[in-house]
Amino acid sequence: MNVMSDIRNKSVFTTGEVAQICRVSQQTVIRCFDSGRLQGFRVPGSRFRRIPRASLVTFMKTNQIPLDKLETGRKRVLVVDDDEAIVEMFTELLARHGQFEVKTARTGYDAGILTEQFRPDVILLDFKLPDINGNVVCRTIRSNPNYEHIHIIVISGVADPDEVKELLAAGANEFIRKPFDINAVISRIAEAVKVA
Amino acid sequence: MRPLATMETTLAEVRPPRAAREAPVPVRVGLILHHLDQLPTLPAVAARLLELTGSNDSCAQDVIEIVESDPSLTAAVLRLVRRADLGVSDRTMTVHRAVVLLGFTVIRNLVLSIYVFDTLSQREKSASVHREGIRKHSLAVACVADMLAGHIGPPMVAGEAFVCGLLHDIGKIALDACLPKSYLRVIERVDRERACICDVEQELFGLDHTVAGRRLAARWKLSDPILECIWLHHQSANALVDSVAHPQLVRTVHLADSLVRMHGIGYSGYPIINDVDELLTELGLGEEVPVEVMARLPERIKPFIDIQNPQDSSTDPCSWQSLTNVNRQLGQINTKLRERNRDLELRSEIFETLHRFTHRCSREDGVGDVCAAAAEAIRAMVDAQCAVAFAGDPSQPFVHVGVSNNSDPQAGLIPQPLVDVIDLGSPLEVEGLLEGASVGQLAPASEHCEPIWQQCGPKSSEGRLWMLPIACEPGWISAVLFNDCDDSVRRFLSARVECEALTSSVRLALSSANTRVASERMNQELLDSNRRVRAAQQSLVRTHSIAMIAEMASGAAHEMNNPLAVISGRAQLMLAQYEDPELARSLRIIVEQTQRASGIVNDLMGFAKPAPPQSLVQTLYDMLDMLCQHWRTTFKLTEHQLMLSVNDPRVTVYADLDQLREILTALVTNAVEATSGETTRLQVNSPSSLSDETVRIVIRDNGVGMTRDVLEHALDPLFSSRPAGRGRGLGLSRAYRLAEINGGRLWLESTPGQGTTVTLELPVRAPQD
Repeated sequence: MNVMSDIRNKSVFTTGEVAQICRVSQQTVIRCFDSGRLQGFRVPGSRFRRIPRASLVTFMKTNQIPLDKLETGRKRVLVVDDDEAIVEMFTELLARHGQFEVKTARTGYDAGILTEQFRPDVILLDFKLPDINGNVVCRTIRSNPNYEHIHIIVISGVADPDEVKELLAAGANEFIRKPFDINAVISRIAEAVKVA
Repeated sequence: MRPLATMETTLAEVRPPRAAREAPVPVRVGLILHHLDQLPTLPAVAARLLELTGSNDSCAQDVIEIVESDPSLTAAVLRLVRRADLGVSDRTMTVHRAVVLLGFTVIRNLVLSIYVFDTLSQREKSASVHREGIRKHSLAVACVADMLAGHIGPPMVAGEAFVCGLLHDIGKIALDACLPKSYLRVIERVDRERACICDVEQELFGLDHTVAGRRLAARWKLSDPILECIWLHHQSANALVDSVAHPQLVRTVHLADSLVRMHGIGYSGYPIINDVDELLTELGLGEEVPVEVMARLPERIKPFIDIQNPQDSSTDPCSWQSLTNVNRQLGQINTKLRERNRDLELRSEIFETLHRFTHRCSREDGVGDVCAAAAEAIRAMVDAQCAVAFAGDPSQPFVHVGVSNNSDPQAGLIPQPLVDVIDLGSPLEVEGLLEGASVGQLAPASEHCEPIWQQCGPKSSEGRLWMLPIACEPGWISAVLFNDCDDSVRRFLSARVECEALTSSVRLALSSANTRVASERMNQELLDSNRRVRAAQQSLVRTHSIAMIAEMASGAAHEMNNPLAVISGRAQLMLAQYEDPELARSLRIIVEQTQRASGIVNDLMGFAKPAPPQSLVQTLYDMLDMLCQHWRTTFKLTEHQLMLSVNDPRVTVYADLDQLREILTALVTNAVEATSGETTRLQVNSPSSLSDETVRIVIRDNGVGMTRDVLEHALDPLFSSRPAGRGRGLGLSRAYRLAEINGGRLWLESTPGQGTTVTLELPVRAPQD
């Protein structure tokens, strides 16, 4: 993985990195930071400026700076399931497709952390998880306005109509029942992120 | 009391016969009137004397002539003068002198006292005790009335009061003269039963001595005052109406009669002693007057007694006095006995009522029947037009009633009492019902009873409404209502203990009926709840197995769908990688079978947790017709093989349309599978009509039927009589489940070899909350 991709996956940036991403001088970044137009914080015990990813994105969008240096070309998919075999199958399936970057989580807690770090475009979410259920995960993600764009597909073997209704109300975009047609799942994901 | 003015019409109407049970009264009255008219007229001497008294210009000479014309009368007058001890020697006595000494009035009275009684007694020569008694009574009344008139003063004429008193009971003598044997029976009965002679006369003859006496007086052309006294001397002091010309005279005679009876002088056949206070007040006399008058009576009556019985030694003043005292004491004892007798009579009436009531009641009676028995018995007791007995729970707006009406004069039959339950609209008020009255005591009915009387009583009821409360406590309330036209119920007011005994019996009978009804209801409820428990047990077993299946299916759905998804997914991945047709076919089979396995799991879940029905009211016929056409196509059946009949095409059903379709399809599929090919014959019919609460759909096939064992398990989930692997065995049990959640039922009847009948019952309309 090159330096660029490292930067892309970071969640907190230095002023130098921001200058690189935004294609401006570091001085300009510092000026913007100090004037408050670029939100951030100083590292405790020093004067180093740090800019969180979310405020950087906001800053870039406000100033109409292209986001291509911040994003990879591939869409990120987070697979959340406690069943090893399912996770493995999805990883293989999505990897074979080639256009997706995949990370996996076994629990709701992991799913939360990875959403923060990995910033997935699509989450494939199992309903029954060892710690918290899928509806709680949905609601937690949706409570953060920064994750509004994430497309959540719940995939579950439980087909109780009441539970499906609750999931959709909690913020899931769609529901697919196990077992499924793999081509159908791929096309659902592709359509959600507009990848051909 | 009827006003006297209406009494003028016919004799039979004068007093309504209280107990006209025996024979046609008018016939007897006619006979007696005939006899009365046959009685001898007053002797010319007496008639002449009466005439003289009537006119004021009568002179002593006329009287002297009359007396002298009759030797026995002359002797009597002279004897009287002698006995009167007027200090005149016998030798110098003439009739003329006697008349002057004694006064015209005395002579006239004397003459009458002899002639009147002798005239009427001449038919029956043998003197009887009572006849003598009546004569003595009449003489005493005459003397007392005369003295009372003296006290009252003008306009009372002294001589007139004497005549009126003398003749007041002439009716008795007349009746006795007409019907001596019958009258002896009257006397005997009066003596035995201590009854009022008027009532006994009424009962036996249809008229009493006052009426008979009036008839005779009219025939003898006696003057109006005498006539009124004869007729009305038993009427109470204030009951005399304005049309009576000589009320004071009548009252005087009445008072004299009462006083004489009180002292037990002579025989009057009238055991009841009136309260004289009222009469004294009306006449303006003081309380001391009767005492004084009665003290002077022996002296006054003596000459007359002497004339009647010259040899009677017992009539000297001393023995008279002692006799009077003894008589008075006897009179007092008599009065007590009479009161006791009256009480006993009352008691016997009440106990007779009790007997009638218990006789009518039987072991199987309900509350209403007991009410009817009580109403009938009490109506008979008080002689009311109608009686209504009711009983009920005061928390309910309903009461049981028993209604008894008296005989219809036309029909002559006593109608059977009615038993009913009436709706009062609102519950009775326990406190309001009694309103000062108490249980077991007769009282005027409270207005709270009126709604009951209005619903059950006669359309037009006369008189006052009374009640006899039977029970009044939380839990139940009961009373008997009746109307009383002639105030006769008042006599029962004193019989408190007896009335309470009567009501206690009714109360006991009512509560025993209540208990019996309650125990029957409890029995029924016990049976019902037994049945419900059995059904609940069966349902519990089924619910329990369903709950287990639901839990298992829910777990299985997750646990099995995951590996199924992996198997299916991996196979699909391989399908995309390998192009070998053999391999691809196998992979596709794997994918299909995982779908099937998943389907079974989902069905099980659907069975255990069906979606809540979205029920609507819809017309049954349209839906059945459409479904039948659909089934004919699906199962390739002719119209003859699958027949539909609906009793009423307007009948509706309240159910979830999709679920109802699923139920019916499952049932028809089952029926089709039980039959084979050509011989298939199905009937779908709905025998329900519009008025029913539920609709029934019956599906009958002519298939192989079910054995008992199969029938018992036919509704169990996953049970299939077919070889394993064919079908999931959820059809019927799912239909059963769906029928249940749609508020209906489903049951099977089957005979092996003859086919199966499945009945589905569903509500017609939405339940009302």
